[in-house]
Amino acid sequence: MCRLLRVSGRSMEPLYREGDFVVISKIPFFFRPVQVGDTIVFRHRVFGVLVKMVAETHHANGEIFVTGIQPESVDSKEFGAVRIREVMGKVVWHIQREKK
Amino acid sequence: MFYKILDVADRILHFKRASAHCDIPCGIYDPHQAQIAALTVIRMVDLMGELVANEKVEKIDFNNSMARYIAVKEEHAELCKREVRVIFGDYFKKEHVEKYPELPTLTHHIFQLGSKCRQTANRQTALDLLGLVNRFAEIYWETKAVPTKRVKAPYKPGEEIVYPIL
Repeated sequence: MCRLLRVSGRSMEPLYREGDFVVISKIPFFFRPVQVGDTIVFRHRVFGVLVKMVAETHHANGEIFVTGIQPESVDSKEFGAVRIREVMGKVVWHIQREKK
Repeated sequence: MFYKILDVADRILHFKRASAHCDIPCGIYDPHQAQIAALTVIRMVDLMGELVANEKVEKIDFNNSMARYIAVKEEHAELCKREVRVIFGDYFKKEHVEKYPELPTLTHHIFQLGSKCRQTANRQTALDLLGLVNRFAEIYWETKAVPTKRVKAPYKPGEEIVYPIL
């Protein structure tokens, strides 16, 4: 129902910083399909479990395009579309690392 | 406070990571190296033919030159395949393949002809390889919205290659 994950990497900074925790869930998708602007976690066959932001949705094809915030982000501009069925959940709770 | 509790819990339980994957992709792709390699294969076949036709060459020199031409032909046929593989595998995306459905077959034929160029010293095979690599280059530059032109290479073997108009 819900999963707790820890963010690694910096492509989503400054919104999601390395070491932050996120709780993800598929429940929101029962009420509203994945939408542009959602922060999601999905499983990629090469890069593993990734956290990115949805940039485009193509529900008819069952595909979405994802993006990071930093220009060096490895995302859909690198690996193309993501199948919606590979989405593990939407970030529903963000527990930020305490600022030093 | 809550973060600190989770941080301590993570040290014990090792929560799964969600990677905000980030790297510095070089993004530098250019089919020119593959084209030059294909031209080199043609040139080596030509040199092999010239060497065989020259009856005045000492046997030891013949063997030495022939060995060098074959080695370079082998190396560049393989280099051509490698360059095409990298561009096909790393640069071209699903959207490109949808727009240019010939791409997978074209790439496969380049691999096959590259191998055939190693196995034989047939000029027509080498020309066919260059022809396919030129088409591959045209598609690559089209995806970059860069127009191209076909011109004779200004060096031996002087065959036609595709250049981007930058």
